[in-house]
Amino acid sequence: MVLLRKIKDRLKKIIPRQKKQKKIAQAAPLKIRRGAVSRLGKKDTVLGTQELAVGKTKFSTPAPVPRGIPRVIQELPAGYGQDRVVLQVRDPWWLHSYWEISGGTRDRLQRELGDSFHSAKVVLRVYDVSHIAFDGKNAHRYFDIEVGFDSTSWYIDNVGPGRSWCVEIGLRLASGKFIVISRSNTVYTPLEGPSWITDEEWMIPDEMFARLYGMGFGFGRSSPVGKVWQERMRRALFSGVLASPGMASMSSPAKKIPKPRQFWLVVNTELIVYGATEPDASVTVQGREIKLRSDGTFTLRFALPDGKQVIPVEATSADKIETRTITPVVTKETK
Amino acid sequence: MNKGYLSIVLHGHLPYVRHPEYEDFLEEDWLYEAITETYIPLIHVMERLAHDKVDFRLTLTLSPTLLSMLSDGLLQERYLKHINRLIELAHKEVERTRWQPEFNHLASVYLVRFYECRNTFEKYGHNLVNAFKGFQDSGKLEIITCGATHGFLPLMDVVKPSVRAQVKVAVSHYERLLGRKPQGIWLPECGYNPGDDEILKEAGLKYFFSDAHGILHGVPRPKYGVFAPVYCKSGVACFARDLESSKQVWSSIEGYPGDYQYREFYRDIGFDLDYEYIRPYIHPDGVRINTGIKYYRITGSDNKQAYVPHLAQEKAAEHAGNFMFNRQRQVEYLHDFMQKKPIIISPYDAELLGHWWYEGPMWLEFLIRKIHFDQDTIRLITPSEYLYENPRNQVVTPSMSSWGWKGYSEMWLQGPNDWVYRHLHKASERMTELAKDFSRNGTTNGIVKRALNQALRELLLAQSSDWGFIMGTGTHTEYAVRRTKEHLLRFTNLYEQIKSNNIDEPWLKDIEYKDNIFPEIDYRVHQ
Repeated sequence: MVLLRKIKDRLKKIIPRQKKQKKIAQAAPLKIRRGAVSRLGKKDTVLGTQELAVGKTKFSTPAPVPRGIPRVIQELPAGYGQDRVVLQVRDPWWLHSYWEISGGTRDRLQRELGDSFHSAKVVLRVYDVSHIAFDGKNAHRYFDIEVGFDSTSWYIDNVGPGRSWCVEIGLRLASGKFIVISRSNTVYTPLEGPSWITDEEWMIPDEMFARLYGMGFGFGRSSPVGKVWQERMRRALFSGVLASPGMASMSSPAKKIPKPRQFWLVVNTELIVYGATEPDASVTVQGREIKLRSDGTFTLRFALPDGKQVIPVEATSADKIETRTITPVVTKETK
Repeated sequence: MNKGYLSIVLHGHLPYVRHPEYEDFLEEDWLYEAITETYIPLIHVMERLAHDKVDFRLTLTLSPTLLSMLSDGLLQERYLKHINRLIELAHKEVERTRWQPEFNHLASVYLVRFYECRNTFEKYGHNLVNAFKGFQDSGKLEIITCGATHGFLPLMDVVKPSVRAQVKVAVSHYERLLGRKPQGIWLPECGYNPGDDEILKEAGLKYFFSDAHGILHGVPRPKYGVFAPVYCKSGVACFARDLESSKQVWSSIEGYPGDYQYREFYRDIGFDLDYEYIRPYIHPDGVRINTGIKYYRITGSDNKQAYVPHLAQEKAAEHAGNFMFNRQRQVEYLHDFMQKKPIIISPYDAELLGHWWYEGPMWLEFLIRKIHFDQDTIRLITPSEYLYENPRNQVVTPSMSSWGWKGYSEMWLQGPNDWVYRHLHKASERMTELAKDFSRNGTTNGIVKRALNQALRELLLAQSSDWGFIMGTGTHTEYAVRRTKEHLLRFTNLYEQIKSNNIDEPWLKDIEYKDNIFPEIDYRVHQ
């Protein structure tokens, strides 16, 4: 642990050096027109959030579409009639567990435990099983989460990065006795920073590594690499904005800035020019030939900008002997 | 003599959306839009480069679902209909905008573009895979594979046979369509879980990618950070993304795509024009949708100005120059410092280029040309080539990671989507059980085998990370929820029918017709 702290301290010292690299990266000044928002001023811009927004556009569905005959989708079963608990890693600090306690097991426990069943709590017992073969008794430590009979899943925090974890779902009796119903798989939480293990054959000077490390995340504040990001992440984790990926802002609800009003109006104009002549005649509108329908009618539609439009419509008979011209003149003005 | 390498990796993927049971299906447009705006423009870029004898290297994922859709007859036919409708609309637009020269010019540009799309589509026999395959065979493009249906592997930790099926089905599908073995894989969402590399090795894959923290937080510490690949214990190499170059493209503030000269994605005539006029070109149910004809540039204020193609083109060239300049400085710095040639991995969603960032393909072309003609500090390379030239690398176990929101599993494991894993895992276990039972006694007859294969198809389709992603974004999740449930229910039915030896053949036939992906799948890979 002492070693770990040392390295962390050293990294802390080195991290500010990124700024130098920042200069390198920006050596070719690129005019950023969105300069109104200064680069440093808007710290909550998250690369990940942007990627998410862009990712969404791949699936651009404007609105749910009614699809003919509504089909009744059968529901998935609530459970599969088994005792089971599964553990998954969400990130270095959080685990997710889901479980099922079968009706049969519940009945059996109720029968066997009698009165003490009703004072018992359903508990998720979380074990730190790093570097051991867990036998149910040899965990480094454990903690209990009271989950209640109705829950079937839980997000577990207070776990740390770089450790192995296992959970058991069971009943904790008033006496403190724990009855295990099911034990999960074991998972390993990823490290939140660089490993302190350096390969013997490849000794890496700390200085060199740290410079690479700085380059590795460029000036990205959102990468899971680096202190700034980690602090951000922690704040996000403890401020309850967990479930909504779209929320980048972490401003306190007390200081709500009133939203600008969203009311709006758009008006555009189009002009429809339509008419009819002999089906075999040829017709030009503003000198350009148009196609007639088989009955000799035609319809043209134009976006109509402000100003005056002179629209000569000229029809010539199939034998080119006769010509008729009609010229509507349209003036549009927007006030 | 170059001082380092740049590897541009495009990840092309869309979930399998194909509904023969409907005449017109909104979500199929994801594919048609991507064909018109991304895949064909990328083909055009490569064609022009090849024509001008510009030597280049690109790496491109064609996910198995995307490959399947591109080579599917029904979807090809529907794309043709789609592009023909667009051509018709563009013709009308050329006429309608006669008195608005700034839009009239654009309408003609779109018209020409749509015609070019159709020509290209026809030139390759309606199958764009042929085009990509050609560039791969000529040595310029390296096509890599992906999870069979883009299943997010870290959340299959308790059901490894599904990881194996995702990888192996992908590899054999790739071989069948592209006539060779894939060298590399893009792990869906860059989701790596230590140990999964063993399965990649079994499948004959040589490398994969992780996000930067995958390698930086690996054990032991990586000597060269993300600027050299590492080997996992299995011997499979891992390349990590360089976030600096990513950010130049992605970031909403510093990123190129936000430039005011570029085309505005959110202003589409499908929404802007009079309803009656646009009605034949939107969804038959009357819901307004994007048509792909967009007349405005980002502008930088609400009063959007008309898009000016040549100004956008100049911008794209400028941005390509800037990107190259920054990579040169990065490479020079790293080279001095590492005493070795660094490799910079710049991966992007392929659909980012063209679909979201309309000028993206143009930018890529400028970048490649500039790298080829204007400098010799950096050299474009594919990961395979790099490994061939630099076989000796450090052994590191990368850290579990993804390139998704917050860098781990949360995008796919949060309130709106965490309910799926209970069912997905159960289905995986059942699939393993079936595969074991039936490969042991080895007497699977025609219909049982068909049911077993279909069961694996349904399971794989339910596993697509796209469904979880859409649920996680919280907007229009209905389709994603429906697909997840539908495939899981079909799977469960098949499981029960197989177990009770009572297979409903007409129903099986119907779902084989609907979910027809991976015709040559072998259920025994799920072990």
